[in-house]
This record gives sequence, C-alpha cells and structure tokens, in this order.
Amino acid sequence: MFGDSAARGADVESLWRRDQGTRCEAKSCQTGEISTVEAAVQSHSSRDAGMQTDQSEETIQNLDLQKEVPVDYAGLLSFLQGVEDVVIKELNKNWRSHAFDGFEVNWVDQNETVSCLHSLSYPEAQDQKLQVTSISWNVTGSVVACSYGRLDDGDWSTEKSYVCTWNLDRRGLNPKRPDLVVDVPSSVMCLAFHPSQPSLIVGGLYSGEVLIWDTSRIEDPLIWRTGMTDDTHTDPVYQVDWLQDSKHSHHFQILSVSTDGKILVWQTQRDGQLTLVEGFALVAQQIPRSMKLKKRTRGETAVGVTSLSFSCFDPSVFIIGVEGGYSLKCSTAVETAAVPRTGSSVTLKAPAQFAFSPHGGPVYCVSCSPFHRQVMGRLNLFLSGGTDGHIHLHSMLQAQPLISLQLSKKYLFSVRWSPVRPLVFAAATGEGEVQLFDFGKSSQKPAVSIKQASAQTPVYCIEFNFKQPQLLAAGDASGMLKIWQLSSDFIQQGPREMNHLEQLANEVTD
Amino acid sequence: MLPNLFVVCFLQAEVEETLKRIQSQKGVQGIIVVNSEGIPIKSTVDNSTTVQYAGLMHSFIMKARSTVRDIDPQNDLTFLRIRSKKNEIMIAPGKSPSASGFQASC
Repeated sequence: MFGDSAARGADVESLWRRDQGTRCEAKSCQTGEISTVEAAVQSHSSRDAGMQTDQSEETIQNLDLQKEVPVDYAGLLSFLQGVEDVVIKELNKNWRSHAFDGFEVNWVDQNETVSCLHSLSYPEAQDQKLQVTSISWNVTGSVVACSYGRLDDGDWSTEKSYVCTWNLDRRGLNPKRPDLVVDVPSSVMCLAFHPSQPSLIVGGLYSGEVLIWDTSRIEDPLIWRTGMTDDTHTDPVYQVDWLQDSKHSHHFQILSVSTDGKILVWQTQRDGQLTLVEGFALVAQQIPRSMKLKKRTRGETAVGVTSLSFSCFDPSVFIIGVEGGYSLKCSTAVETAAVPRTGSSVTLKAPAQFAFSPHGGPVYCVSCSPFHRQVMGRLNLFLSGGTDGHIHLHSMLQAQPLISLQLSKKYLFSVRWSPVRPLVFAAATGEGEVQLFDFGKSSQKPAVSIKQASAQTPVYCIEFNFKQPQLLAAGDASGMLKIWQLSSDFIQQGPREMNHLEQLANEVTD
Repeated sequence: MLPNLFVVCFLQAEVEETLKRIQSQKGVQGIIVVNSEGIPIKSTVDNSTTVQYAGLMHSFIMKARSTVRDIDPQNDLTFLRIRSKKNEIMIAPGKSPSASGFQASC
C-alpha cells in the first residue's frame, strides 16, 4: 500500500550567482609604455696581450729541424749531384767576372755638398766666453747635447758652466734656446748619453766629479753624483762612457778617465750616489817597455790619461791616449795591482799591456774602428791624434803606425771614425776646421775640409750621429755647436771598402 | 737492419762531401738547402740566419718561377741571382730540395 521512497530534491540553478571566475580584459594601463634599447653588455671582450711562458719551445723546434724533418738522403743526394756542377760553374764565373766592376746603384737622392743645417748656441754661455767642450748624440739620434767649459785654462776654475740639449726633430727649434739647460757648478769636460735610455746623460767635471742627469726631469735633472770622496778623481775628468755590465746586460756602469792617471768604474746606488766598483791606475814604472821613454821618470809618477776608446769587438780591450804622447793597449781582464796608492776603497789594477810609438805631443783622442773583418778574424785598427797635428793609424798588432799624416799645423782635438764608411774619419783641428779623410780617395789630403770658424778658433769636439749618419756635430771655442749635413758619398759604403780596409790592416810589417 | 743504416750513413756522407765541395769555392759564405715547402733541411750557417734566409727566399723563388712561366709556359726557372752591394745570393732550384748559397761579392 504505502512504501518509503526518497524523492530527490529539486535543484534550481541560481540565475545570478555563478562561479567567480576571473575574467578580465585589459582596458588601459596607467604606466606608459617603457621603451627599451640595448645600450651595453657587461661581459668584456678580451685579447691576448702576452704570455708568460717562454717562447723557447719554438726555437728548440727550429733547432731540431734537421732531425724532425725526415731527410730523404737519397733524393737529396741526387738533387745535389745534379745541381753541384751548375752552382760551381756559376760561382767560378762570378768571381772571375768583371761585369759589375764600378757598377753602383743609387737608391736615394744624391746630395753633393756639405751644408750647415743648424748653428746652435746658448747666449749666456757665449757671454761668459765659454767653449764647447764635448758633444753627445742620444740613442735615438734626435737630441744633441753639448757641454760648455774651458779647455785652454790652466787653473782650477770654479765658474759655473752649462749642459744644453736641443731636440733637432722638434718643430720650432730655436737655435738660440736649448730645450734643456742644466747649471753645473764647475766646467764640464765631457759628456756621454746612455746607449739605450734616451734621457740619461753622464758628464765629467773639471773638479774630478762625475754627475748623471736625467733630461726628462725638468725640476732637478741631477740624479747621481760621485761627490768629493777619497775615490774621486783629483784632476779633470776628460772622458766618460757607459760600460755594459758583463753579468747583467741591462745594467750599465760608468767609466771615467782623468789626467790623474786613474780609470775608474762607478756603479749607481739608490741614494743618488755613485760608488767605485773597479779601477785602473797607470804609473810610469808599469808601462810596458816596448819603446824607450826618453826621460827617466820616477816610477810612481802617474801617467795622465786623456782619452779612451773601447775596442768594438772585444769589450775587455781598450786603447788609451796619454799625456806623454803615446797610446797604450789595455785590458780590463788584468790581475796585477797598480803600485800601491793610498786612499782608494777599491784596489786599482794596472791595465797596460802594450805601448805604441809616440806622437810629438800629448794624445788628445783615440778611436777604434767599428768595422769588423768580413770573413774571419777582427779588424784591430785605431786612430790617435794629438797636439803635434798628426794622426796615426795603428794596428793593434804593432807599435809603429801604419800611416802617419799631418793634418794640421796646430793641435788635433778630436778624431772619430765614420759609422757607415769604413775608410772615412773626421778630425777636429785647432785651425777651426773639421777635416774628413777618405783613405779610399787620397791618403795625403782630406776629402773635404769644413770651415767651422775662423783660424784662431779651434774646433774641440766632433760626433757623428749613428742613427742619421749624414749628420756630424762639431763644437768650437766660440761656443757654437754646428750640425753639418754631409754629402751622399760619405753616407753609403762603397762596394770594395771593406777589402781596402783589410788591405790597410794587413800592411803590418814583421 | 744493418744494411739500411749503412746506406743512410753512406748517403749522408756523400751529401756532406758535396756541400763541402761547394762551400770551399772562392768566396762562399754559406749554403742552405730547402725543400719544396721552404723548410731548410741542411745548412752551413747558424740557425737564425738559416731560418731568415729560408723564409725570405721561398716566396721570392716562387714569384720568380711563376713570372718566368707566365711569360712562356714552356719555360722554367733554372737559376736565380740576387746581387747586392755587399754580397750575392745564388739560388739553384730543382725538383724537391732547392739549394741556395750566398757568396761575397769581390
């Protein structure tokens, strides 16, 4: 009749309420659109600048090339056998041929005359009537420095003098205004620029001191000095030079030469001081007796050294010129101590090994030839000039000169070999001339005679510019430094010059 | 094993003899033998000079040879001489190695 049943409820869907789903549309933004553009990236780009590892592996590979490249000896032999006859025939034809005798090619414009490029002077030095005592070109060949002082005075002069530099490559070069003027309390007798650093220059003073200046420092160029210690020279320093240290090739020491008979080697120290590391002393009794000295001098008399020149091929051999008029061949590798003299912190050695025959007066300049013999051996020629007006061309092998020429009736103050022509040298005379001699042209009279000043004004110093071989600087007693431009035949080596020079050197008599 | 080694030594000695004969001619400063790639295989002068000459000469020889053959394709380079103020470089090209020597000018 009646039963249970459950009636399902009735669901009425809501008309207005539904899932609150998100439904949105972008109508508008309040922030404006940000425009962006790529400006920079933070990651860096790199490039290899250098490596710390040595490159020696590559050279070792090259050295082993002959072992690495498999040499096919059979093939090589057959090739060489085929080629040998042809090559020998050509070689023989070559040395017999006269086809190229006198054939010369000019690659550059020929300049026929010698002309004066610049006449440099420092008016204040000229007012004091100072003379140009020494010239030096720097290693780049563009800066010339000269020192002022007196060479004709005999007393201890305490007047101020100057070292002036001019940069010839600078535009607006004012010949009366040096680029740098260094005031020096005493006369500067000699100058030398550093062989690799273009701004260091060393000078030797009349008082015996040696000073080093750095021309790049405007404020106070003086950076090292010897001071007046027991080791310092007691006489004027006539020549200074830079010596390459044999152990550390980038270290240089300074060599100074003076008429007190000492040749001293100095080392720079950090405190601005130059200290003595090595030295040589010349006393009369230790001069080798290869020639007779006319006067009997007391054994311990110091032999005044006026000039020095290192041999270009053997750094331990040097030639010095002395006041007694002769030249000496010396060596740095000696062990005998000089006759004991007190007052020196380092034992001085006696360097003289061989004496050459003398001039008629003190030797003021010696210069070793920078040209090597081509095939084998070395050329051992040097020139010496002195107050007798003669120059002697010596071979280091014999005491008598190979050639002796009178260039002037007055003194000869400086002699320099040309850096490019093995047969040419220049000499500064007391008659105000610079004479250029060419052994290839005439062995009796100069090839060119440049008149620098009047006949009463001696030319004291000359220097060739090694980087620009057409330039020759000459300083005279009127305080003028003239830069001469040489003609083309002094700049280029001729085809047979080395042979001619070897022939000269071989005229050594037994 | 032994006969091969012997032959190599013999050949090497012959090569050295030939080079010595050329080197003893008047005025010869040095001899360099390079292969077709320009790599020096035998030399009587120091290494840096050898490498320098070999490097510089290789392209020069190639250029000279191509110049000759461009002018006349049937022609070929037989000998090359570069004469300078101080010396003369003589180059003898050939199949495989090419020998160049330099002589001081008299």
